[in-house]
Amino acid sequence: MENVIEVKKLRKEFKAYSSRAGLKGAFRDLFTRNYKIVPAVNDINITVKKGEMVGYIGENGAGKSTTIKMLTGILTPTSGEIIVNGMNPHKEREKFVQTIGVVFGQRSQLWWDIAVQESFRLLKKVYKVSDEDYEQHMQHVIRTLDIEPLLDKPVRKLSLGQRMRCELAAALIHNPPLLFLDEPTIGLDVLVKLKIREFLKEINEKYNTTILLTTHDLSDIEALCERVVMLDEGKVIYDGALRELKEKWGDQKELHFQFLKKVNIKTVQNVTSGLPVEWEVDEKDQTFIAILEDRDELISQVIAKVVAAFKIKDVKINETSTEEIIRKIYEKGAVEVG
Amino acid sequence: MFYLSMFFQYLSQYLKTRLQYRADVFVEFLSDLLSQAINLVFILVVFGHTDLLNGWNRDEIIFIYGFFLVPFAVFSAFFNIWDFNERYIVKGELDRILTRPIHSLFQIILERLELESLLGAITGLAVMFYAGSRLGIRIDWYDPILFIIFVIGGALVYGGVFIMLACISFWADARTSLMPMMYNISNYGRYPVNIYNKLIRFVLTWILPFAFVGVYPAAFFLDKEDWYWYSFLTPFIGVLFFILSIWLWNQGVKKYRGAGN
Ligand SMILES: Nc1ncnc2c1ncn2[C@@H]1O[C@H](COP(=O)(O)OP(=O)(O)OP(=O)(O)O)[C@@H](O)[C@H]1O
Ligand SMILES: [Mg+2]
Repeated sequence: MENVIEVKKLRKEFKAYSSRAGLKGAFRDLFTRNYKIVPAVNDINITVKKGEMVGYIGENGAGKSTTIKMLTGILTPTSGEIIVNGMNPHKEREKFVQTIGVVFGQRSQLWWDIAVQESFRLLKKVYKVSDEDYEQHMQHVIRTLDIEPLLDKPVRKLSLGQRMRCELAAALIHNPPLLFLDEPTIGLDVLVKLKIREFLKEINEKYNTTILLTTHDLSDIEALCERVVMLDEGKVIYDGALRELKEKWGDQKELHFQFLKKVNIKTVQNVTSGLPVEWEVDEKDQTFIAILEDRDELISQVIAKVVAAFKIKDVKINETSTEEIIRKIYEKGAVEVG
Repeated sequence: MFYLSMFFQYLSQYLKTRLQYRADVFVEFLSDLLSQAINLVFILVVFGHTDLLNGWNRDEIIFIYGFFLVPFAVFSAFFNIWDFNERYIVKGELDRILTRPIHSLFQIILERLELESLLGAITGLAVMFYAGSRLGIRIDWYDPILFIIFVIGGALVYGGVFIMLACISFWADARTSLMPMMYNISNYGRYPVNIYNKLIRFVLTWILPFAFVGVYPAAFFLDKEDWYWYSFLTPFIGVLFFILSIWLWNQGVKKYRGAGN
């Protein structure tokens, strides 16, 4: 299958200015400012094939948005090669953007003051979409995203969830074969999230649209993407199937205990001292969580000790969640998947 | 062709948005008209006292000022980019512009149309007719054509200079506004008549060519034959500076850093 995105040793550096202290420092800043060069994206290689849905994840400031901005032609890379849809994004920008759709969850792509359908109408002209294509394609998009009642409202009067659905529709007016979504589900309620996910799946199946999305909500990734690319401080630390990541790192279990009486975390820790267990407390419902290796023997031992020491209201044995796995990886800052 | 059709698309959207609040449009129109009238009175009062300034007599100066108002009005209507740094660079709205298949500068011009400013041209014409009739200027058949060419040339000079100033935002990491600087420069360029001083003339002709927005083209209608050569240079300087500014813009866009969030 053909590669839609091909990136080699892609790098973007920013100058980070620091101001000197004091009045004298401020004065000196006027003439020469101190700066450090920080690589926000540090020599990454990525290839994405047609029709793939790739989750692009990483902590705040990892460089996800910066990568997307280079892939969409907004930023010029410091060095490296980019070919997207067979073009160099910032060199042939105007021709290139005709073939992509972009949504930035943090920022509106629509015109603030004009009604949604006016925005759509204008974008239809901007992208030179014919009436038939528009009718055929957008009718469906509008119906699936359920934005019919919003069309005559100006964007500034929409709620976040309403706006996001309109943004998504707007990014699809020219039915692009490649879609970049930077945190498309940020701040949305569960229903809207589900709707958006379903919709993305649908267009991926229907048009074989390639989708690259960033999110901090891993359930988005679990629902949509087979492949994840994980970024840390500008470097790709994992690129592969989400499933593999879970198998490799999910070799842990969580034991959830709720007690009848109020219990101190210290005393719980004392009870299992000597065993390789980490304890966490979920303050909200007073659940004590033991995180340990997935060995039957160890699990039985821990349960036995805890049950002997406290009166139990509830016990559960869980697989470690993806959240937990990812958090671990972020903390370690590296992945070795064999 | 595509760009022309996009211009009309944005224009119709602009008119629609404005007309949605019909009462507003009317009130705004009245207040614009009023401020133009005040402007007119102000001009006459200010220049009422001067007799001779830098080699021009009173009515000639008024005429030049009237002429200046016309390209300036055109400029204000189409190059409303005063807040370019704040809006597009610091707030990062250029991101949105850059993901659309139209030249970025053209999109910004279209988005920021401010056609009300064209009213200023009426004041300008009124001032010109007032001064022109006192000077006894005859209007030949070719005058209106040249007038339009000179106005476009002047507006392009102004537009070019301001686009170049706006381009500073691409390089400078200026969190502060460029507006005061742009405003000061424009004020200085507003009404230069002192073209007899060699140094000033050089600057206003070749570096910040504001002389082409007022004095030089107006000199043609005032039958100042010494300056004809400069008058006819107006459209060329306009096009040249505008092309230069677009070139600079295209370089600048590559330096765009985006807004870190
Ligand atoms: N315009 C800019 N100027 C200077 N530094 C920047 C700029 N944009 C981003 N950065 C820096 O580059 C790094 C990566 O930022 P980026 O926005 O790509 O992160 P991200 O992965 O999208 O994070 P988040 O999850 O918070 O959105 C950060 O350290 C940020 O401070
Ligand atoms: Mg981001």
